[in-house]
Amino acid sequence: MDTLIEMKNIVKVFPPNVVALDDVSTDFRKGEIHAIVGENGAGKSTLMKVLYGLEGRNNGEIMLRGQPTHFNDPGEAIANRIGMVHQEILLIPEYTIWQNIILGVEPTNIFGKIDEAKARRTVKEKIEEFQFNLNPDDKVGDISVAARQKVEILKLLYRNVEILILDEPTSVLTPQEIPQLFSELRRLRDSGKTILFISHHLDEVLTLSDRITVMRKGKKIATVEASETNKEDLARMMVGRDVIFLSKRDGKVPGDVVFSVDDLSYIDGNGHKHLEEVNLNVKAGEIVGIAGVEGNGQLALVNCIMGMNHPSHGSITVNGKDLTRAEILERRRYISFVSQDRGKMGAAVKASIADNVMMTHHRLNKKFTRWNGKLLDYRYARQFTDQIEEQFNVSMGSMDAPFKSLSGGNQQKVILGRELLLETPFLLLDQPTRGLDVGSIEYVHDIILNMRSQDRAILMISADLEELFRLSDRILVLHRGKIVADLPTEDTSVEQVGYLMLEGKDKEDAKEIH
Amino acid sequence: MRKKFISGILGIVVALVLGAIIMLFQGYNPIETYGALFSYSLGGWYPFCTTLRNSVPLILTGFSASIAFASGPVNLGQPGQLLIGALFATVGGMYIHLPAVLEIPILIALALLGGALWSGAAALMHKWFSMDEFITTLMLNMIADLLTYWAISYPFFEKGANSPLTPQIDKAGWLPEFGEFNTNVLVMLLTFVVVWFIYSRLTAGYEWRLTGQNSIFARLGGCNIDKNYMAVMLITGALAGLAGGLVVMAGPHRFVKGLGANYAWDGVMVAMVANNGLFGTILYGLFFSTLQSGALGMELITAVPSEFIQVLQSVIVLVIVAGRGLLDIWMDKSMIKRKARERAA
Repeated sequence: MDTLIEMKNIVKVFPPNVVALDDVSTDFRKGEIHAIVGENGAGKSTLMKVLYGLEGRNNGEIMLRGQPTHFNDPGEAIANRIGMVHQEILLIPEYTIWQNIILGVEPTNIFGKIDEAKARRTVKEKIEEFQFNLNPDDKVGDISVAARQKVEILKLLYRNVEILILDEPTSVLTPQEIPQLFSELRRLRDSGKTILFISHHLDEVLTLSDRITVMRKGKKIATVEASETNKEDLARMMVGRDVIFLSKRDGKVPGDVVFSVDDLSYIDGNGHKHLEEVNLNVKAGEIVGIAGVEGNGQLALVNCIMGMNHPSHGSITVNGKDLTRAEILERRRYISFVSQDRGKMGAAVKASIADNVMMTHHRLNKKFTRWNGKLLDYRYARQFTDQIEEQFNVSMGSMDAPFKSLSGGNQQKVILGRELLLETPFLLLDQPTRGLDVGSIEYVHDIILNMRSQDRAILMISADLEELFRLSDRILVLHRGKIVADLPTEDTSVEQVGYLMLEGKDKEDAKEIH
Repeated sequence: MRKKFISGILGIVVALVLGAIIMLFQGYNPIETYGALFSYSLGGWYPFCTTLRNSVPLILTGFSASIAFASGPVNLGQPGQLLIGALFATVGGMYIHLPAVLEIPILIALALLGGALWSGAAALMHKWFSMDEFITTLMLNMIADLLTYWAISYPFFEKGANSPLTPQIDKAGWLPEFGEFNTNVLVMLLTFVVVWFIYSRLTAGYEWRLTGQNSIFARLGGCNIDKNYMAVMLITGALAGLAGGLVVMAGPHRFVKGLGANYAWDGVMVAMVANNGLFGTILYGLFFSTLQSGALGMELITAVPSEFIQVLQSVIVLVIVAGRGLLDIWMDKSMIKRKARERAA
């Protein structure tokens, strides 16, 4: 097969000193499906963005069809028949599929008006050519996420793209939708397109791709033929050591109910229903995981528990204390909270590390203040920061440095340290390992399990099924604001949870209806 | 800290050079002009004391703006709060007759109260009607302007005067002067200590700072956002009011038309240049006061009009604020280049 693209010695540094790509060289051949795998932060997306012209490079060379190439922006890349589908789908929901596809390259008639008939016809031909099973007249707002992704791909095919870059295309899909995407991608390859596919799911990569490039911490580890490797080898290359996919929980029996939510509903000011009669409870020494496709009520649930939103109906209690209408400060005596967005909810990134560590403690822990709470004891706060640094293995330069100078993993350790040392009976963890590298994830998981063995009640919301299966004693599935399943982790499968996340009911139930 | 200092000095030098270039274009001698400017503001005890005295309202309104901006609320009502504070102190000084040890603290308290009332009005509008303080404080500036103009033209008008002004306040309320040195500087320094202590040591100050950085985080952390908002508005209003009271007590000892001058807006500018830091506000306040105090001398000796100082001030603001961003970008770039070279090697 011919080499289509060659990337040589690519270096990319993000300020201040994050080396995202460290001397990466690789090649892509015409007519192959080439997967780029690696953990979060390994540099997969950055490598593709450099190729696509979204990010500049600080060093190195890109050869396209044997010619040195440099794209300043995605437009130039598309003109050279390279296109990328991003994780977030950027379409206009009010427009139909064909309108979205032609946007920016509209065919016009002699009067300069959009030739709608021709545009629609061309789009329809493309859909048929690639057997995409879409109706060009459907509004994008009405179709499923999987269909929208197809529209994104079609948009690039309409622009005669030869090389398609897909950034984690399966992350927005449910397990049942993935095979269809894969067969479509194979069909594209067979018609001569080259597909570069970013993923961190090894099973997918092994089923779909011809060759696989493995990245770790900004470096290319290897490029291998998919037929000559297996999951274990890939995992080892990705993380640099053997990973255990198994649960690490011990067989501890949970205690009494600590946290409970009863008949909780939340309707916002616009009459939109975010939560509907949610019932759940967490016992001491138990980790309850909440699975669900993002946007199914997780945010409203977190906000109701934390007091940022006031529930329309129902109650929230911790250790028998009704917190439904309590002030946030009162809730914080009972609830530790790790948010999914460190910069937005979990920290003030420009403030110093010590300032971030003090938050909440400065109100609840008497050791932090004197003069009846009026005067802050900064000296104690510094001792406390030292304690967190040591106890949670944080590597920080100076505690007076801004919080944002810490790496993502260290930021999360500081936040976890602050929250866990509040010593509340209940912990709310919203995607506690989002955006962290493998090592940090494992560390955070150990901390969470450690809290479980200290009899804390833990509610964990996660988009990562592997994480949920690894840590949770029970998995609840949130679908369109309702809890549709409450499953002991031992008696369920990833596939079953995935199906529930998408359909809101079990496969068997679905069959009965059909 | 060192980086801030370097960027400040560099900004001032670059701005002075740019100013020199503008002067050269207009046919003035920049060395002679700067010589006059600095000898009339810093060259000797008398000019230096004048510069110090004039810096007080700049620095106090600068504190007001710094604390407001760094804590979240966009209080842009310093001009109005200054005028109301000045009016309160003046009226108090007209009718209260006590020994100086009591008179001065009472007038200062009245000035604080006047400013706080004016910003408090905006804060209440925010609380009850969710009106943005950014708008209301600006609007209240105009009301304060006309209200004080009316007050000194009618109820507190000095009979027989030929322009709107009040009678002088009781002599006991005059801030003592030692030669040319006016004690309003001491009041300012005392205020600095108090404000610094509140902001950097008290629990409340900690919450204000963190709320200014990220209010959602502070709210989730258990800070009482509404209470803090009210406190910041009242305190920053009081600081601007104090600036007004001290202008009366250190200067004309009465409320004359145009008393507020440009102090408050210059103070807001000082806060912006100082990046809302309290130390920086003092330093830049002194520097801007140096320019303004020297402007008259400059006009006296050279042909350069004193308005030129406004050009110079604006250039300094632009150079320092832009320079701050630029310095960060440069540092990042050089770091990247070094890393890239290391990796390529």
